[in-house]
Amino acid sequence: MLAVNELLQQVANGLAKGSVYALIAVGYTMVYGVLELINFAHGEVFMLGAYFGYWPARWLGYMPDSGEKPQVPAPVALLLTFGAMAACALIGVLVERLAYRPLRNAGRLSALITAIGISVLMQNLALVVFHADSKDFPRMIDQQSVVLGPVELPNTKLLIIGVTALMMAGLFWMVRYTRTGAAMRACSHSMKTASLMGVNVNRIISLTFAIGSAMAAVAGVLISLDQPRLTPLMGLMPGLKAFVAAVLGGIGSIPGAVAGGILLGVVESVVGGVAGTTYSEAVAFVLLILILLVRPSGLFGKSGREKV
Amino acid sequence: MRNTLLLAAIIATVTITAAACKSDIGPGFTNDKVTLGLFVSTSGDIATFGQDTKNGAELAVEEINKAGGISKHLIDLRFQDCASEPAQGGNAATKLITQDGVLIGMGEVASGISLAAAPIFQKYGVPMISPSSTNPTVTQQGDMIFRICYLDDFQGAACALFANQNLNCKTAAILMNQDDAYSTGLGKFFRFKFEKLGGKIVAEETFKKGASDFNTQLTNIKGKNPDVIFAPVYYQDIPLIAKQARGQGIDKPLLGGDGWESDDLLPKADGKLDNCYFANHYATADDAPIVANFVKAYNAKYGSNPTSLAALGYDVVYVAKKAIESAGGINEKLTRKAVADALRGLKDFEGVTGTFSIDKNRDARKPIQMLKIKDGKVLPDRRIRPEEVE
Repeated sequence: MLAVNELLQQVANGLAKGSVYALIAVGYTMVYGVLELINFAHGEVFMLGAYFGYWPARWLGYMPDSGEKPQVPAPVALLLTFGAMAACALIGVLVERLAYRPLRNAGRLSALITAIGISVLMQNLALVVFHADSKDFPRMIDQQSVVLGPVELPNTKLLIIGVTALMMAGLFWMVRYTRTGAAMRACSHSMKTASLMGVNVNRIISLTFAIGSAMAAVAGVLISLDQPRLTPLMGLMPGLKAFVAAVLGGIGSIPGAVAGGILLGVVESVVGGVAGTTYSEAVAFVLLILILLVRPSGLFGKSGREKV
Repeated sequence: MRNTLLLAAIIATVTITAAACKSDIGPGFTNDKVTLGLFVSTSGDIATFGQDTKNGAELAVEEINKAGGISKHLIDLRFQDCASEPAQGGNAATKLITQDGVLIGMGEVASGISLAAAPIFQKYGVPMISPSSTNPTVTQQGDMIFRICYLDDFQGAACALFANQNLNCKTAAILMNQDDAYSTGLGKFFRFKFEKLGGKIVAEETFKKGASDFNTQLTNIKGKNPDVIFAPVYYQDIPLIAKQARGQGIDKPLLGGDGWESDDLLPKADGKLDNCYFANHYATADDAPIVANFVKAYNAKYGSNPTSLAALGYDVVYVAKKAIESAGGINEKLTRKAVADALRGLKDFEGVTGTFSIDKNRDARKPIQMLKIKDGKVLPDRRIRPEEVE
């Protein structure tokens, strides 16, 4: 039987894991909220975020070909992260402009298939550009273990949890209390009405993609601090899990994505601790099915509103 | 009438060609040259393994030819790329035998590819020596198939002995990749020997191929408080495991097999693998003259330290040379069968990867080198001989 300490430790592990899911899930849920599109290329944006943190660091000499890596100073690390966010935001906007906008009035299936196509395209482009062998990540933070009562966590994980909380608070404030946020909510309610009220719908959609992609970039950099192994296919599983998290929380709802992500991460970790890691994913997906059976629109989803 | 003649002619041609392919593969040497074949993968997934092996083998050929060759015959090394594919391994074997007429074939690294090539060498009666395939079934393909590396059962048992005797461990945890036969095999052999020595395996955790998050498994292991964590995984995984273990406050040593070996190991670990141990085929820092000379010559030619695969590639060429010389040298009486007989009787061969003999299963009986990671360096620790774990 699990000791209480161990259980708490697994919950803490799961919080960090779930935070990353939440950061990615927010991008899924925002795009769905506005466009009713599952942007399957979102996991790849997460992957690109990690690589966009890696390459400039390499050019700046923080990734020597041999020997010990130097510590990246905090301001540089911050700049690298902002750079990755900007680059991913641009990619998100471009993907929307080039692939999804021409299909906005086509059927939902066409857009969905296009999203899957973009995902495969980005994976394979990354394979060509970055090569299949895994890359290490620069040392942006000196990893140390921190004792917090009964649990012991590396500082990288605490950073993941902290940054996620901060970003979620910021996003929540933006959506709730700014004019842009109000416009975003209006678009999500009815795009046609919003445009009649003078909202620039195209600008809001671009902004939605930009914010979601920047969040995924942060997730990519954060996860690489803790698990520094970059591969062109690293976005696949986290992307899928984040999608599940978004559905679990009620797709279209930002608090839902956060709750879904954290819940999924914690359940995976705790089940892995109790029953062994072989079962953790299976149990997590059974949980998803059970929750959707009871609440088909997810934990925070609004039911009954069906847009055509 | 004309048709019948044509048919007869075609049948005759085909029969003659087929006969020529089947039996006439030449003796494998000319008046001044002896042809040896090398087949490894220099493209595909495991290209670095093949390239290292090829570098080592070419260095050995260069040295031997500079010193006058094998009984005054220069080595003509023919190379075929297996492209990391078993099917290509079969093609490579056929080409080396039927087109190049090699006396001996040397390869592959991956057991799966060696298994594809071995039946072809066996069929044509050409000796094949694998430098580094560790799967037991490779040499079971026939009496012409040999290897010069140790097997995974010995490696796992040696790690268990080392944990018990040198690290004084009473309890151990095992963390392995459930999708990799190398990893689970070593885990199984380690458990068997460790328990036989009176130790206790308190936790056995697995992860999926490509996993980057080992925290759940490590928390489970931490709760059982083992004296050592045996992690028979590859070099891409172990730095992540080490960092996450230290991040959770697990300060016990990690122990692993030859899969840890890589130039990337220490740079990727950021110092978190200090005081950990792994088994390998040889130690670059070994001060024995044969090793020191090899490391120096390899560095001069390629500008990097030789990996174990390079050392085994180097040794396999010298094993071929020794076998030819033991079979009476190169003269008109030399047959491939005589070379195979000499390989079967090979005793106390002194190579870079240790002094070894070929046993009755045509496998090498050789010591294993345990290595210690200390202050950013990989240092030689204990050497374990096969009789010590039996």
